[in-house]
Amino acid sequence: MSDPKDFVAGVDSDQRRSPQRVVFVTRRTSAQVKANYEEQVQTYPEVLFRVVLAIEILAIVLVGMALLFNAPLEGIADPTHTPNPAKAPWYFLGLQELLHYFPPVVAGVLVPTMLIVSLVIIPYFNINIEAAGLFLHHRRRRLQIFYVTAIGLLVFLVAFHVYVAAVPSLIVAIAMIVAANSSPQSKSASCRYLSKKPMAWWVMTWFLFELIVLTAVGTFFRGPGWSWVLPWRS
Amino acid sequence: MADEKQHASTTAKGELNRRAFFAKIGLGSLGIAAVGTAGFAYQFLSPNVLYEPSPIVNLGKPEDFAVDSVTMDPNAGIYLVHTSEGYFALSAVCTHLGCLTAWNQELGMIKCPCHGSEFTRTGVKIEGPAPKPLPWLRTWVSDEGDLMVDRSTDIHPLQYLRI
Amino acid sequence: MPGKTDKILEQVEQSRVWRSIFRSGRGTSTLHRALAIQQNVFLHLFSTKVRKRMLSVSSTWYLGTLTLGTFMILIITGVLLMLYYHPSVPQAYADMKDLQFVVSSGLFLRNLHRWSAQAMVFLVFAHMFKVFYRGAYRAPREFNWVIGVVLLLITLLLSYTGYLLPWDQLAYWAITVGSNLSKAVPLVGSKIHFLMLGGNQVNANALLRFYVLHCLILPLAALLFIAVHFWRIRKDGGLYVHQSEPKRAGAVDESTLVKEAK
Repeated sequence: MSDPKDFVAGVDSDQRRSPQRVVFVTRRTSAQVKANYEEQVQTYPEVLFRVVLAIEILAIVLVGMALLFNAPLEGIADPTHTPNPAKAPWYFLGLQELLHYFPPVVAGVLVPTMLIVSLVIIPYFNINIEAAGLFLHHRRRRLQIFYVTAIGLLVFLVAFHVYVAAVPSLIVAIAMIVAANSSPQSKSASCRYLSKKPMAWWVMTWFLFELIVLTAVGTFFRGPGWSWVLPWRS
Repeated sequence: MADEKQHASTTAKGELNRRAFFAKIGLGSLGIAAVGTAGFAYQFLSPNVLYEPSPIVNLGKPEDFAVDSVTMDPNAGIYLVHTSEGYFALSAVCTHLGCLTAWNQELGMIKCPCHGSEFTRTGVKIEGPAPKPLPWLRTWVSDEGDLMVDRSTDIHPLQYLRI
Repeated sequence: MPGKTDKILEQVEQSRVWRSIFRSGRGTSTLHRALAIQQNVFLHLFSTKVRKRMLSVSSTWYLGTLTLGTFMILIITGVLLMLYYHPSVPQAYADMKDLQFVVSSGLFLRNLHRWSAQAMVFLVFAHMFKVFYRGAYRAPREFNWVIGVVLLLITLLLSYTGYLLPWDQLAYWAITVGSNLSKAVPLVGSKIHFLMLGGNQVNANALLRFYVLHCLILPLAALLFIAVHFWRIRKDGGLYVHQSEPKRAGAVDESTLVKEAK
């Protein structure tokens, strides 16, 4: 005789698929908890040991660097002479590269503020909670929005001669077009991979790509007067 | 029940009970104190006396500057230009982000080493991200016959000083 | 001989004084080990247990841990460097030269401070992107991500203020350019610039202000936010476990669940 249960107990910890869980308890049964068991270890000593080990390895690497390479120290500060080129620390060179093209209020105030604000709102940007691929739903409308945004951005960058930022944007845009024309059933693995990516992923990847390219250009390819140089011809 | 709730909320709105009254006084005085502290902090943080060099510089006799020459005074951060129309002084501090520009004799233009802005010798921007031309500075001849420049006062361009 | 030291150690650990400091007591039971975390004001920011999967290098690359490591190295080397540094013009630059040529290990400490700072900036960015691509910023961890963004800003500010302190050409012009950026802020730009530098140009006032920010205010802020950051990991349910891990036996697929419910 089969059990005439009118409910099914399920375990589901996927908050993307079921952000809210409802429990039904019928009259003849009591609430049943199926523990979501996952193997755990004690923080002390397992985690602390690994943390200490990781920091020790880091310390060894950094001490080695400190012994091998000297920190730069130039002549004493001289307000009557600007070194050429005057470069910021490497992690600000992406920003300095942008400063070369745009007025300070855009590159120095607007862009950083927008970056910080978008970083802060990322986790609250819940429109796509399922993290479904960008072009899998509402494909037509989203493609239209994408084309308008991408072409607008590219025209803007080219109009200001910011080819350094336009090239990575173009590559990301091409990858997005590939994603739009593939589906999770596509033959090639990379097409399948791209098609599943949500919008936040695309924005962040674009940001990462621009950050790397702009920083690398500012660090290695800019010489006196912020003109192009090749790093091996210094 | 709905009536009761409504009734309770109207009385709460209408009259202030003691607890809410004191909470409001407390928060209000904290707010006033915060505004006062902010004002005080602003005043404290802006120095009243600055040990910075005087904005007025003495460049010496006008005859020392040949016609069609651009002379930079790096200590003052200015150019003195002598053209056939007369003398004028130009700030050498780039209007973009404050780097000190340099006069390039071969190209006949002023170049900024930081972000690649370029200017003519009258301060007009040729290229680069600088938002404004290099400002012209007030120039006059002192009673002793020396050229004086006030770095803190901008004038409209093309006001040559003729001697 | 080792037996004897063990015995002495045991006696020390069982002494009244030791027990008054470390209350968890001696022992290797789960309870003792949990108490070792729970009864320590610093360690109790962490949970007493973690999921075993989170220990693998591939899940986090230990980027957060390594960032903490660089921060600790920076505090130690920074405090030592402060002992030989005067934040005044032009003494600051002379102190740099002294550190380089006169002070024993001065050059090494400065190098270590410099490279650790650069490593920290790099690691903070790497940590941020790793967390993003793992999807670990999603609810209920949103606020911890925001704290992370604050820590990123504090790290950049620390590095920016520290950049001026050697008072060399590199420092002077980088800060001149950087501080002039604040002038571009609409309406209050030049006020901010004036307050930040304590004057109209990068000068002795600016050096002192940056010194206080770099050595006192920003590190304290960083410590505060780091503590909250760690504590929130525990409160938000431990380190994030990626969803696409292999399904455990006994877990019911949701599609079958829905079908049967119908």
